[in-house]
This record gives sequence, C-alpha cells and structure tokens, in this order.
Amino acid sequence: MTRFAVIVAALLALLAAIIVGASWGTIAFTPASILWALFHPHAQSEVGTVLWSLRLPRVAIAALVGASLAVAGLVMQDLLGNPLIDPYLTGTSAGAALAIAAAIAFGAPPGLYSAIALCASLATTILVGALSRSGTGLSVERMIVAGIALSSLFAGLTTLVILWSPSASVSLSILAWLGGSLAGHGWRDLGWATLYAACGLGLALTTIPALNALRLGTRRAQALGVDLDRTRWLVVLSACLLTSAAVSVSGVIGFIGLMVPHIVRGAVGHDVRWTIAAALPVGAIILILSDTFARSAAPPTEIPLGILLSLLGVPAFLYLASRRPKTI
Amino acid sequence: MIDAQDLTLAYGSNIVLRDVSMQLGDGELLAIIGPNGAGKSTLLRALGGLHAPQHGSVMVNGRSISQMSPPERARRLALIEVDSAPVTNITVREAVAQGRLPHRPWWRWNELPEDEAIVDEALERAQLTDRAERPLDALSSGERQRVWVALALAQRAPSLLFDEPTTHLDLGHAMHILSLLRELADQGTTVVIVLHDLNVAAAHADRIALVGKNTLLACDVPEHVFQEELLSAAYGAPIIVRREEGMMLAFARPPQRKGASG
Repeated sequence: MTRFAVIVAALLALLAAIIVGASWGTIAFTPASILWALFHPHAQSEVGTVLWSLRLPRVAIAALVGASLAVAGLVMQDLLGNPLIDPYLTGTSAGAALAIAAAIAFGAPPGLYSAIALCASLATTILVGALSRSGTGLSVERMIVAGIALSSLFAGLTTLVILWSPSASVSLSILAWLGGSLAGHGWRDLGWATLYAACGLGLALTTIPALNALRLGTRRAQALGVDLDRTRWLVVLSACLLTSAAVSVSGVIGFIGLMVPHIVRGAVGHDVRWTIAAALPVGAIILILSDTFARSAAPPTEIPLGILLSLLGVPAFLYLASRRPKTI
Repeated sequence: MIDAQDLTLAYGSNIVLRDVSMQLGDGELLAIIGPNGAGKSTLLRALGGLHAPQHGSVMVNGRSISQMSPPERARRLALIEVDSAPVTNITVREAVAQGRLPHRPWWRWNELPEDEAIVDEALERAQLTDRAERPLDALSSGERQRVWVALALAQRAPSLLFDEPTTHLDLGHAMHILSLLRELADQGTTVVIVLHDLNVAAAHADRIALVGKNTLLACDVPEHVFQEELLSAAYGAPIIVRREEGMMLAFARPPQRKGASG
C-alpha cells in the first residue's frame, strides 16, 4: 500500500472510530440514529441530547488528546534520534499532576483544573528548558536529566499531597485525575486545549524539513544548513504545547506518545512529512476507541483511560517492537 | 574563494591551532595533512563555518561566514564530515535529496521538478542511479562515501569540504572518489579534503596544507611541502621523500632491525 493510501485508510478509520465512539456507551444507539441526530442538532430527542452534550465533545476531546500526544512523541523522538522517548520527558505531566493534586487538595473549583494543568505543564517545560540551556542553545542531554529529575521531584511531592490531603475522598479525586480520564469534560474545555494544540502542531510542521535532515545525523544536518538550536527550541516548545493541551483535558495518559510513532513508521516509513500526517489520525483513533471501551466495558463505572491504555498498550507495543526490530 | 585569516581554533582553553591563514581560489583542490590530533578536522569545520574560531575570520567570496545564516552557509559550502553514527531507515535517493534543503524555503516540504533533476544528476555522477531506491545501510562503505559525495553535489555549493573521503575504501573506490573530486575542482569548485595518506594528497592536490605543532607548518604545492625535514618534524618520525615517475612519494623510514646487514 502506498503512503497516500495509508493516510486515506487512516482517515476513513478515524471516521468509523468517531461513529463507534458516538454510538457506544452506557446507552447504545444505532449508527443510523446517530447519523440522523448528527444532521439534526436542534431536534429534541434523547439520542440528540446524548450525542451533542456528552458523546461528541468526549469523542472530540479524545481525538484531540490522541493526535496531540502522538505528534508530540513523534517530533521529540525524531529530534533526539531515540525511539524510546516519551513526550512527558520534559516533566510536563509531572508538573501538571502536582499542580492539580494541590488544586484538588486546596479545594479549587473543578472548572479551573484544565487551566491550572495547562499553566503548570507550560511552567515545568520552561523550567526544564532553562535548566537545559547551553549557551544560546539547548543541550539534549541536560534536558533529559532535568526532565527526569524534576519529574521525580514532582512525583514525590504529588504523593506527599495525596498522603496529607484532608480526606480520603480528596485523595481518591486526585488519584482519579492521575489515572487519566476524559469524564466530565465538555465543549467548554475544548477551546483553549484546541488553541494550544493547534499552535503546537503549527510549530511541529515548521520543523519537518529540519527533522528529516536530522535523520542523517546532527553533524550532517548542520552542514545542510539546519539551525540546530532553533530546531531544538521549536520542537520542545511544540511538544510542550501539544502535551499541555492533552494533559489539561485528560490528565496523565501515557503510552500514546511512545506507541503511535512506532505504528506509523511501520506503515509509512520514516519521512516526517508522512509520519506526522499518519500520527494525527492514528493517535486520535486509538484514543477514541480506548475511551469508548473505558466507558462501555463495565457501566456505570469507567476504567481510568490512562490505566486501560497501559494494560492494552504494553502488550501491543511489545508485540510491535518484537516484529520491527529496526524501529527500536 | 575562501579566505581564512589569523585563525586560532580551540576547544575551551585547549588551543588546537593558532595563526592559521590561507586563501583558496576557485577550482583549487587543497589537501590538509598532518599527524593524528593535529587539528585537521577542526580546521575543516572552521573553514566550513561549523567551528567558531577563538580569533580570526573566514570569508567566503568576500563575506564573513559567521555572518551567514545556516542555509546561506550551506548554499555556499558543502561540508562532509566523518560521522560514525549509523544512518538507517532512509533510501539513497531520500538521503541525497536532503542536499536540496538549503535551497528550499522552510514552508516548502516537497521537491520541485528542478530539485528532482539535480538529485538525479548527482546520483548519476556518483554512479548511484541503480542503487537510488536501496536502503542506505545496505550499501558498502565505499558506496556510502559516494552517497555523501552525491549529497554534496546535490547541494550545488561552489565549495566542497570533505573530511577523510577515502577512509575505509579500497584503492579502486578511493581512486573513483578522488577522480570525482578532481573533476569537480577542474569545473571550478573549490575542494578541500582532509587526508591521512601523504602520497594520495601529493598525487591529487594542487596544494597541501601541513598542520602540526599547533599551527599551519606549510601551505604550498606538493613539491615544496614534501621536504624530509619538514615532514619528519611534523610527524615526529623520520620520513623519506622520493620522486618516482613524476610522483612525489613519502614514507616513514622503518627502524633498523637488529642483526640486519648492509
């Protein structure tokens, strides 16, 4: 299959995933009734209310989170030339987790959680960037060390907040957020997250030629006129915006950023033009279907999405990794 | 045209080369030779604008290389360095096509038809047309060296700097690469190569730059650089120079074996 055909197939699969995500749930609807409600948004019906108030915003958030984490993981891996890099490497999720844990413990209104997570993840990335500065550039090695160190520090502090929280219910709220979930989010949460994700994606797109040149090694890329410092800053900022957007509406959802780049490279090769084009729909599909399963498998309770993805993702990832040794 | 003036090259406080000045004209092939660790590759990187000198300047066609943007620098100079990191998951054609990067604005991701024609021509000159769709890591060392030459050809830069173009190559492949570089120089490209083999340098270069003892010891035609005293001092070993069939030959005098007669 040509690369173009793979992208077209992925887009068709995304459409199917959206229909599945909108149809399945505690109350199941037929795809026909879903399609009818989709084209009659103002009709007063149960299916219309569920679709437009609950399912579609959730599917849209899942698509946004999946696509954002997939592209963030992809560009970070390509920048560092290491397929084991996770987009949370810069401490984005750990910073957001600590801020949200503190916000829940101190009784901040839930409506502010997304904004708090976004600010905290951005602040963490800026801190990691400042600690990784080397002259006018960014030292990749320092960034990895700073990201890991700050992540460990924030994880410890988050545990402390959970242990010292005023009640067990507060501790459970924090743990639920840390487990990653799209529950309770609506259209209002999508606005800012979409804006940040769009900015992050825009920056990622500007780095495509440089990332493709980096496939030949940093020295050859420099000789080809790639401004290494500028590319590093742009990619880190792009990954930060994308992961911040995701974390602000979904909590900590791991593995997508690690797994999707491997899947798309297996399908379309390593040219960054094609891998980004494929990562967007593939990341969205995986998260839409995972979220649909998480809320449909054992109603009325939901399996935390982050945990579900770890349970399903680890074996799938190990299988893929064993099949394609060259991508590891 | 490359003009280096009073270069002092260092890594931190460790000065590698000082007081290096040289001018290179269009169509000239210069070989940089010298013992290990003398700063040959550092000098090449400095001429290519990728190692900022502690002192001095490098001008390319009258313009300071430090004032150029990275893409502008890459349009004027193609630099091929020794990079032992494996390059995987890319075909020969994809790799060579990267040579068009400095000529494209950042918003254009795809090759234009004229880019494709230039890439095809570069592949042909490096005798890689039949291997264009093969993975780079499936090629032999010699073929990979030719890929880097093709990449530099696709850059269409008026100056080409190449670090150790014949390393790991057998005589036949080495000769092909050197002939190609000679051909480029004859067509007006300024070519600078770093070589370990003194005799190859003498056979192919218009001038030889000998570095050693933290400075540029000589930069002249092979006949003037191939002085036994000069080379012996630079390499710290007794070197004999001979002229045979019009060629300059230099080789280290082997230590006398005990018990050998005559």
